[in-house]
Amino acid sequence: MISILLVLSAGILVGLMIVRKPALHQLNNHLLNWSIYLLLFLLGISVGTNQEVIKDLGTIGYEAIAIAVASIAGSVLLSGLLYNYLFKQK
Amino acid sequence: MRSSLIIFSFFVAGILAGLSGKIPAGFDWNKIGGYALYILMFLAGSSIGSDRNSWKVLATHNYKIIWVPVTIILGTMAGAALVSLVLPSLTLRESLAVGAGFGYYSLSSVFITQLHSHSLGVVALLSNIFREVATLLITPLLVTYFGKLAGIASGGATAMDTTLPVISRYSGKEYAIVAVFSGIVLTILVPILVTFILTF
Repeated sequence: MISILLVLSAGILVGLMIVRKPALHQLNNHLLNWSIYLLLFLLGISVGTNQEVIKDLGTIGYEAIAIAVASIAGSVLLSGLLYNYLFKQK
Repeated sequence: MRSSLIIFSFFVAGILAGLSGKIPAGFDWNKIGGYALYILMFLAGSSIGSDRNSWKVLATHNYKIIWVPVTIILGTMAGAALVSLVLPSLTLRESLAVGAGFGYYSLSSVFITQLHSHSLGVVALLSNIFREVATLLITPLLVTYFGKLAGIASGGATAMDTTLPVISRYSGKEYAIVAVFSGIVLTILVPILVTFILTF
């Protein structure tokens, strides 16, 4: 999937060229939003037409919450250590 | 919050359209999704590149600020790894890939669907929406018990936009800059880390 990272880098380069053109930033953000909506709609269609995913929706929700809770807990605990060592005003 | 509702309703509309049985049989998600993903990546890249703040924040801040996103990555990966040990239905790779969304549900779910499977893409979507919503709700509590970086850590990639107001309110304005920096670094890393975890 190197090609995806190349496309991302190409985008960043084009972005650097339009730093001074605010009108294009707005257009870019609109297009970005709509491409996200489109992709999520397409993802919805593929889920709706996929019997296996529909059947497993319960398990999927349960896994999703478990990963979110564990990710928040892990990063918050470590950030607490970092805060005490480097950031807290003594 | 508002934008996650909009995105979520597009997703639900898609599911309903799929369930209605009116979608033509020739619908080839992998092909269409593949092209759409390239467009999305290009636009995401140019949006990062054209934002002057992305570069300014990087250049003007003290070295210790770099530890914030590093800590969030390590903590998130440790937590997600633990889940794959507890839930046998998830492999380590799958669990880490979902965690590596850092709350950036739109990009991570699309990526994971494309690189892995539909079901894991849905796990990523729900899990990362949940991370954002939970951050909005519990940041006041987290800051009280775990210090002023806690909301930034919980918010992950969303600390630069959707969860920034609540972080700034409970940790103080001086931490808003830290939040934006950390959020930008994590946002840039989402596509890179997810691709790395799923393909190497």
